[in-house]
Amino acid sequence: MTQFSYIGKRIPKPDAWAKATGQVVYGHDLKVPRMLYGKILRSPLPHARILHIDTSRAERLPGVKAVITAKDFPPRRFGFAKDRTPLKGDKVRRVGDEVAAVAAVDEDTAEEALELIHVEYEPLPPVFDPEEALKPDAPLIHEERESNLFRHQEYVHGDPDRGLDEADVVVEDYYELGYMQPTPLETCFCLAAFDPSGRLTVWSTTQIPFLLQRDLAEALGIPGSHIRIIQTAIGGGFGRGLDMYSFEPICVWLAKKAGQPVRLAFTRQEEFIAAECRQPMRIWARSGAMKDGRLWVRDVKILLDNGAYVSWGTVTTLVFMETVGSLYRVPHARVISDSVYTNNPITGAVRGFGNPQSTFVVETQMDRLAEAIGMDPLEFRLRNVNRPFEETPQGIKITSCGLKECLEEAARRIGWERRKKKEASGTKRRGIGIAATMNVGGGARIYRSDGCGAIVKVDDFGQITVMTGATEIGQGSDVIVAQIVAEVLGVQPDKIVIVNNDTALTPWDVGVHASRTTFIAGKSALFAAQEVKRQILETAEELLEVSAADLELRDGYVVVRGSPDRRVPFDKVVRARHFREGGQVIVGHGWYDPPNEMVGADGKGNISAAYGFGAQAIEVEVDIETGKVKPLWVVSAHDVGRAINPMYVEGQIEGGVVMGLGYALLEELQVREGRVRNPTLLDYRLLTALDAPKIESVIVETDDPEGPFGAKGVGEMGTNPTAAAVANAIYDAIGVRITSLPITPEKVLRALKEQRSGEQ
Amino acid sequence: MKPFEYYAPETLEAAVEIMARYEEGVYPVAGGTDLIPKMRYGQIQPKVVVNLKRIPGLAEIVPQDDGSLKIGALATLTQVASSPKVRERYLMVAQIAGKMASVPVRNLATVGGNLCNAAPSADLAPPLIALDAEAVIFGPQGERRVPLEAFFTGPGQTVLGRGELLTAVVVPPPDPQARGTYIKHAHREALDIAIVGVAAWVRFEEGGSVCEDAHIVLGAVAPTPIRAREAEAAIRGAPLTEERIAEAGRLAAEAARPIDDVRGSAWYRREMVAVLTRRALFSVTISQ
Ligand SMILES: Cc1cc2nc3c(=O)[nH]c(=O)nc-3n(C[C@H](O)[C@H](O)[C@H](O)COP(=O)(O)OP(=O)(O)OC[C@H]3O[C@@H](n4cnc5c(N)ncnc54)[C@H](O)[C@@H]3O)c2cc1C
Repeated sequence: MTQFSYIGKRIPKPDAWAKATGQVVYGHDLKVPRMLYGKILRSPLPHARILHIDTSRAERLPGVKAVITAKDFPPRRFGFAKDRTPLKGDKVRRVGDEVAAVAAVDEDTAEEALELIHVEYEPLPPVFDPEEALKPDAPLIHEERESNLFRHQEYVHGDPDRGLDEADVVVEDYYELGYMQPTPLETCFCLAAFDPSGRLTVWSTTQIPFLLQRDLAEALGIPGSHIRIIQTAIGGGFGRGLDMYSFEPICVWLAKKAGQPVRLAFTRQEEFIAAECRQPMRIWARSGAMKDGRLWVRDVKILLDNGAYVSWGTVTTLVFMETVGSLYRVPHARVISDSVYTNNPITGAVRGFGNPQSTFVVETQMDRLAEAIGMDPLEFRLRNVNRPFEETPQGIKITSCGLKECLEEAARRIGWERRKKKEASGTKRRGIGIAATMNVGGGARIYRSDGCGAIVKVDDFGQITVMTGATEIGQGSDVIVAQIVAEVLGVQPDKIVIVNNDTALTPWDVGVHASRTTFIAGKSALFAAQEVKRQILETAEELLEVSAADLELRDGYVVVRGSPDRRVPFDKVVRARHFREGGQVIVGHGWYDPPNEMVGADGKGNISAAYGFGAQAIEVEVDIETGKVKPLWVVSAHDVGRAINPMYVEGQIEGGVVMGLGYALLEELQVREGRVRNPTLLDYRLLTALDAPKIESVIVETDDPEGPFGAKGVGEMGTNPTAAAVANAIYDAIGVRITSLPITPEKVLRALKEQRSGEQ
Repeated sequence: MKPFEYYAPETLEAAVEIMARYEEGVYPVAGGTDLIPKMRYGQIQPKVVVNLKRIPGLAEIVPQDDGSLKIGALATLTQVASSPKVRERYLMVAQIAGKMASVPVRNLATVGGNLCNAAPSADLAPPLIALDAEAVIFGPQGERRVPLEAFFTGPGQTVLGRGELLTAVVVPPPDPQARGTYIKHAHREALDIAIVGVAAWVRFEEGGSVCEDAHIVLGAVAPTPIRAREAEAAIRGAPLTEERIAEAGRLAAEAARPIDDVRGSAWYRREMVAVLTRRALFSVTISQ
């Protein structure tokens, strides 16, 4: 095995101390001279025509510097489906739709001004139920469209109808999955300022700086070249920052009209109402198997509630298809999905991006099938796993694949055999469940480019600076990139400065999503570092009069192999290049766009250049009198190719598991008639440290042929299988199947009562 | 937040005098953990806020000559949880005070604030009512006392009149023959409001298992915390057998008048009243 100096090392996050002691400057902390505070007036109605907006009283309030409505700026459409304008002029389509905005000298004045704006609405009949929304007489939410159906998609491989006939057993379930909020600690933030020449700078919590630059240009009618996005230290993302929201162009408009910088930050309540959430889905699913343990067929129908507008989140159906079609070997598969407009909150990207939903369906039905054919559910999974270097009927080209190892290891550690001898004590019942996941781990081409650029330079003090397009949202990509560059250039990672937050400086990147940053930004940094290494060696050859083949880079020096005394420091190499005729700087650039492809209209194509795999085994305790489910212990094993920094991989796994447990058991944005009933952190319940069980992370390394130093992505995987593993464990404990999320005590208790009355 | 007038009086009399000036829109503030979020969310818009924390003595926990314990309204949850005087006498009160909210909130939140906020789910109410505590009220007419059970009149409403403040709760002397417990049922282990809370206090006949007296108090299942008197009667005067306990659970569930909300449905709450009442009674029987 290759010996690495810095790859695979547990290097702590350099900003951990500053974060824990409150020294990091987040967007919310930013202040610039003459800065105003922006606030948005939101619709109280789910569906209504705007008849008249009177802003005159707000404009007269002392301290108010700008009041804007849709009339103030040309109505440019934006978003994935170009179905919205930043401020709504004709009608509102959800509770929370933006109708006016103000900028004032402080927040209280801005809030008061909002109260002085009078909007006259004519209520329109709303539609909240996605099935109702598809009926021919349903109110049309976007009048320019023929119906509320946004997209109908079909994926097929094999012959599912024949498969269903042939299968020895078929199971069928109906699932209802609810809203989940990304809930980063820091709420949405934007600060917009024009400089005297009219160029715009936007400080933002975005996860897609370069696409935001483009989206803003489009929504504002300002050339993208005049827009600079600076990312502040970001207090979490979880997918929240993958679309431009209305508040961003609104903030810029306010700054334009006021002629002063404007800051706009969501309250937590606003975050719950206006930040995009995980799409609720209704799912009708059938799976079939042969008695000998071969998975035979899957047939799934999905109804996805987009909410009032469509975001990138609608692409989650692609991810859904992959889990159905390729998590295991299955000869026949069909996924039919309809994504629909309703007058509900907007849905978008949240960690896992459709995968937590699909994995819940696929992995609970795996258990049902195993039971139906009388096979152990672990054994049944192992019989059907994909192997390395297989292409699935979906066109997914699996390369490195440790799914089998993950399943075996998770089961072994949790003590799978304990499932057989269970003791009941009092009102508590214990159970163990398992579920697997496959997630893109080598990018995901949902945009035309899946690339990222990097620049590495060495200055005349020997300082190495990496400029990367990658976005750090707390996951640790800064250090990962530094470790990769450090490995190539032979310096300590903490000696490397990372610049990654400014579109005016850093090369392009598509954004931090799809668990892609280590793989793609890592690889582009690797290429840039290799180029720098070549330049350093080129000059060092002259200085040391030794051929490059006999030189190596170590601790900031170019050293002659075998004679450690003969060496020259980087700064000297750089100066030697600078201070001569025809001199040159040492700077290398890298660009990596992985060899993956966009998925075709038929749902087929190799979307990622590598796939991550994982399995979770979970033990729960169910209180049969209260229905409460307590997770006791989670073993989460993941094939990450290679762990560049095992500590961060564990961090992603643990965080993923906790988020997955939230999806499984606690987190639910309760939406009734388009209104969020629990827009607070008290009643939208994330797990607290006291609710989190013991989590054992297991890293399986398979040395991916394409990834940097063999690494694959792990960012989302931990969240995907949790709900399924919990549901399977509950079934193991008490013999009831819950097919809607979250699995509340109430649902469990009702199911137990039905079970009992069924037995009588 | 809207601007408001702010006072920080240093005597009780001064506080009451300021409070009594206004017919409405005047709010005392203690820890502010209920008040400030409500102001931020625009649920209330005080015209006047009167800080009680500068008034000396209101945070003290003092044993009285008759053996009762006076817990000052300004005592924080942290203080109550860690006070040996409370722990030794009324363990269930100290225990729940130490589990409510979170550490930072408990360092601010007060006993008086929890009771005066009068949420149907307020965690201190059921155990204190079960212990027969009295509310000590001070106002323009001087001091008066009311049983804590009668203190609450509706969600967010109490018997406090114009200018009146809660200054303390007085808990009767501990009864060596009695056991009490409070069970809070919530979705999370911390930082959560009760779906249902049940306090049970039972006095046993000396040296026996016969229940001489019982108080069963339900939280979060009616507009105020309520006593389940039929359930209490069903177990009084006889040994606490499994059948009687089950019957008490059933009667307590009947006494509940729960609603559907974001924390649980009325159906689930009623079910839980029966379960938790049974569990509370079993637990006092076992620890007997
Ligand atoms: C995150 C969080 C978690 C929480 N968890 C719990 C929990 O687990 N269980 C629970 O029961 N509560 C909980 N609460 C609610 C709250 O913390 C408690 O009710 C707390 O005890 C209130 O005390 P306070 O001193 O902060 O009240 P304040 O906010 O200062 O006051 C509350 C109300 O009482 C009035 N008031 C205060 N003192 C007096 C007085 N002496 N006389 C007359 N009126 C007065 C105020 O005017 C106000 O209307 C939680 C709150 C938060 C924010």
